[in-house]
Amino acid sequence: MSGLFQALLDGFAQGSIYALLALGYVIIFKATHVISFAQPALMVCGGLFSYHSMSEWGLGFWPALIVGMALGALLGVVVERVALRPMLGKPVFTLAIITIGVDIALRVLANRYMGANPRPIPFPNGSKQHEIFGLVITQQRVALIAVTAVVVIVLALFFKYSKEGLAMRATALSQEVSLAQGIRVGAIFALAWAIAGALAAIAGTFVASTGAGLEQNTWIIALKALPAIIIGGLDSIPGAVIGGLAVGIIEQLAAVYQPSVAPWLGNNFALVAPYALMFIVLLIKPYGLYGTKEVERV
Amino acid sequence: MKKNRTLIRLVAGIAVAAFALAGCRGGSESETTGTGPGITEEACPDAVNEDNGCIYLGTISDLTKGPFAPLAVPITASQEAFWNRVNEEGGIGGYDVNVTEYVGDAEYNPEIHNQKYQEMRKDILALAQTLGSSQTLAILDDMKSDEVIGIPASWNSAWDFEDQILQSGANYCFEAMNGVDWAVAERGASGKVLAVHYPNDYGGDAAEGVKIAAEANNLEFIDVETPTGQDNQAGAVARILDEQPSLVYITTGPAEMAAIVGGAAARGWQGTAIGSSPTWNPALLQTEAAPAIEAMYFQAAPWGPWDEDTDGHKAMRDALSDVENINDGYTAGWVWSYPMLQVLKDAAKLDGGISRANVVKAAAALESVDYEGMLPNDALNKKGDPSEVAFRQSVIGGVDKDSSTGVSTVNALAAGPTATGFDYTAPCFALQ
Amino acid sequence: MSSLLSNRNISSKPARKSTGVRGRPLLRTSYAQEITLANTAAKRRGVIAIVVLGFLIPWLVTDDLLSILTLGVISAVGAIGLNLVTGYAGQVSLGHAFFIGIGAYTAAVIGGSPTSQAIGYGLPMWIWLPAAGIVAAAFGLVVGPIAVRLRGLYLAIVTLGLVFIGEHFFREARSITGGQGVGRRGAKLELFGIDFASSEPIAGLSREQAQFFLALVFLIIFAVIGRNIARSAVGRAFAAVRDRDVAAAVIGVDLTKYKIMAFALSSFFAGVTGAMYYAVVGVFEPSAFGLLLSIKFIAMVLIGGVATISGSIMGALFIALLPRMSMEIAHLLPFLTNFITVFQLEAILYGVLIIVFLIFEPRGIYGIWLRIRNYWKGWPFSY
Repeated sequence: MSGLFQALLDGFAQGSIYALLALGYVIIFKATHVISFAQPALMVCGGLFSYHSMSEWGLGFWPALIVGMALGALLGVVVERVALRPMLGKPVFTLAIITIGVDIALRVLANRYMGANPRPIPFPNGSKQHEIFGLVITQQRVALIAVTAVVVIVLALFFKYSKEGLAMRATALSQEVSLAQGIRVGAIFALAWAIAGALAAIAGTFVASTGAGLEQNTWIIALKALPAIIIGGLDSIPGAVIGGLAVGIIEQLAAVYQPSVAPWLGNNFALVAPYALMFIVLLIKPYGLYGTKEVERV
Repeated sequence: MKKNRTLIRLVAGIAVAAFALAGCRGGSESETTGTGPGITEEACPDAVNEDNGCIYLGTISDLTKGPFAPLAVPITASQEAFWNRVNEEGGIGGYDVNVTEYVGDAEYNPEIHNQKYQEMRKDILALAQTLGSSQTLAILDDMKSDEVIGIPASWNSAWDFEDQILQSGANYCFEAMNGVDWAVAERGASGKVLAVHYPNDYGGDAAEGVKIAAEANNLEFIDVETPTGQDNQAGAVARILDEQPSLVYITTGPAEMAAIVGGAAARGWQGTAIGSSPTWNPALLQTEAAPAIEAMYFQAAPWGPWDEDTDGHKAMRDALSDVENINDGYTAGWVWSYPMLQVLKDAAKLDGGISRANVVKAAAALESVDYEGMLPNDALNKKGDPSEVAFRQSVIGGVDKDSSTGVSTVNALAAGPTATGFDYTAPCFALQ
Repeated sequence: MSSLLSNRNISSKPARKSTGVRGRPLLRTSYAQEITLANTAAKRRGVIAIVVLGFLIPWLVTDDLLSILTLGVISAVGAIGLNLVTGYAGQVSLGHAFFIGIGAYTAAVIGGSPTSQAIGYGLPMWIWLPAAGIVAAAFGLVVGPIAVRLRGLYLAIVTLGLVFIGEHFFREARSITGGQGVGRRGAKLELFGIDFASSEPIAGLSREQAQFFLALVFLIIFAVIGRNIARSAVGRAFAAVRDRDVAAAVIGVDLTKYKIMAFALSSFFAGVTGAMYYAVVGVFEPSAFGLLLSIKFIAMVLIGGVATISGSIMGALFIALLPRMSMEIAHLLPFLTNFITVFQLEAILYGVLIIVFLIFEPRGIYGIWLRIRNYWKGWPFSY
């Protein structure tokens, strides 16, 4: 039984990474109605910013994380300004393909920086283990879960109480009406990309502080947040968090139990378990767990 | 309604642009002088020896986006340095060798690999590097009809049985046998052995070797396939904790190896982990998995690492003295190039000199290669039957923080009893 | 054949048909004239000219470029298929790679030779090509109902999930696919006793030339079929579903039927494309059918032009030539290679060219053509 709870805990921690990434996707989607396929590149670049400020500028983990977030946010704004702003009002799929172009270009640059060696960001005393009710969790994972919790709370407060948060919600509702109310919709888009860039940087930094660190294939992790946002509902912030955690947990459970419980699913079914979960959720709720149902007029 | 005409103009425009890209048919078919395609009496571009002719060798590798780019880039750089040294020493039979003119980035994709080969097939004498198994298979038929030989960037048992592919060092299969034999003798491995491997040609070849060695040593063999991605290793770690094997033989990438060894050790597993040579990267010593890796990990490798004391290693270190992030990808690229050099030298002595046909002939007759001590001279023999002449010796390396690539030799080049006695009549893992 | 010249606003464009009143090119006397395959004489001449040009290309370009064009021409059929479901019927599918994979492996099993890993029955092309389409269409029929329930980006990502699950299946089904890192060969490319994959010259033609002709005939057949679907009642129903599905349902279009039909038809096109494409490519691996392939096809449709057959073809050729273009441009910019290698520059340019193209011409190549046409239409009063 402790094996099951251990798997749930590990999945929860891994799911926090997906939740951070999923939040980025959802915030961009809410503001601009675009699914950004550039998140993998933003994650890798954000992680590398932290890595660079740690290894080259000698910062500690937490200052490096802040620098990474700041530069990640800046990168998000640049991407939005250069590649997406000219396309305002164009079909969303054209925009989605543009984000793929951005992703390809940025990742090649990131790969050039990384070269052959993985780039680890050591978390201070990160492999120290804590034991709670017979379950073990490393210091680094505790920090990851805590940071994710803080981020979610801050974002919730931001959207609920701040002026910019209100403006973002208004823009998500209707861009034209927001414009008429004096909201600078362009600035809101930039803000959404900045937040997504910063979140991706946090995810990238924590990914880099587990295992071998960032390497050229690490970007694929960011794609695991795609089923998460569908499970949660494309335009729901709590949905993104729940979806991310669900993906982490289902993945872990499938990795540990599927080979013995359902071997007929083939080796390494854990890789696609999140998508299987996504199909099941959508069969029951076509707009995800928390997504807004589209209202149609003829 | 002139739309048709404008469309024609548009299409014509595209077509013209296309022709401009390629030049006209026949125009770019290389006018080969001398003894055939890929060899000219004219000097190489930026030649070391202006008076020499030029031999063009192609490279099709994984240079930007593919999964092996981290290794393929140093391999390619090392091969360039290798041939540069050959040229500085005067070239071969009045020719310099150029490996920089025809380089293709195939992104580890058989389709692009084939396209790159089609682009260069009329202009090269042979392939200095063709990376990937299915990738090389994709061009093998054309290579045969073109009489082009190739150096694979792998240690796959299937290539021991192909005449036009010159592979150096013991393959993954023998390497795994030697690793298991060594662990049984030196680390007291007994009971269970777990082969954790990628579900592909590389992992399959090694896992087969582990299985054979496990049978020979009366160990219980457990097969675990694991995907790429260090975040996807939970299943492999869970299996190790479940089975508690005394030996885990890993055939993955470096990051995955670190996740597996580090993850299992963190949950209390103690035993020996041996990895095939591509599981190592010196940067792993800076990760949180470093203590576990230092304590448990050993590397089975086809030859000594960067710091080894042989003439060849020394020459390589001199040639690559300005490299910053040293890893054993450089060593591999260097060693792999020796057979090509030997074949070119042999072909130069044949009637008609260096040509594709003579290169193929020389490759088929190859009995020894001067590896400058990096491997024994009889390590590659294409003349005899693989069951008799295939090279079966590997090196076992241990973690060594003070060495340039983080590993140093623990057990020098040797073949274990399983590999020595193995009846090698077919590849461990067939590709076709 | 005029499919090459299709125009989605067909009903608003006056045009001449040979049965029309002489000298009055814009007069149409019946609806049938309006939707006919080649609704102007000029269009017919144009198409013939393009087809003739197509058949001349093998004598004009080198073999290596020709093999790229061959693959582009084959992909065009897949792009037409995707345009049917995404452009005409408005159901964005990122699952095209999955159907292409189904087609490729169906053909490889039926028409390929067995290896130590994978099965193959070596049946002739006239069996494996239709079979590849039919099996893929069957999968499309299964997936279609999902589209009835989901819309927009949800549908896009769910079909993306299909690609990931499909890739997993392809990796694990080693007796069909050969597995990762090994792969298998596609179906045998042999028709009327001619082996199109042999490196021996065929009737004086190189392998690349012969394969190009085969691909061109393949494209012409499916372009005509695609155009016929688009201009028929089915195509108009698709457009109604795309423009507003509730309204379409109100005027009597059976949404379930047409959405499923769109997926099945599109999958059929994808299936035959996969079969042909990988028969020409030779060795292929399960990883070929990933996210990137789906994205390439979406890019073909967007860059070529949504809901146009000719746009699909131009988009497919553009995407097929894009790596080559990036390579040529990268070699023209040597000063940048102090900073990055020429290969990194190539890869970056691939991304950048897609961005630049879509920013400056969001309607795709077809949009460029529309502008050119409108310019000359009003000439000399081109303002």
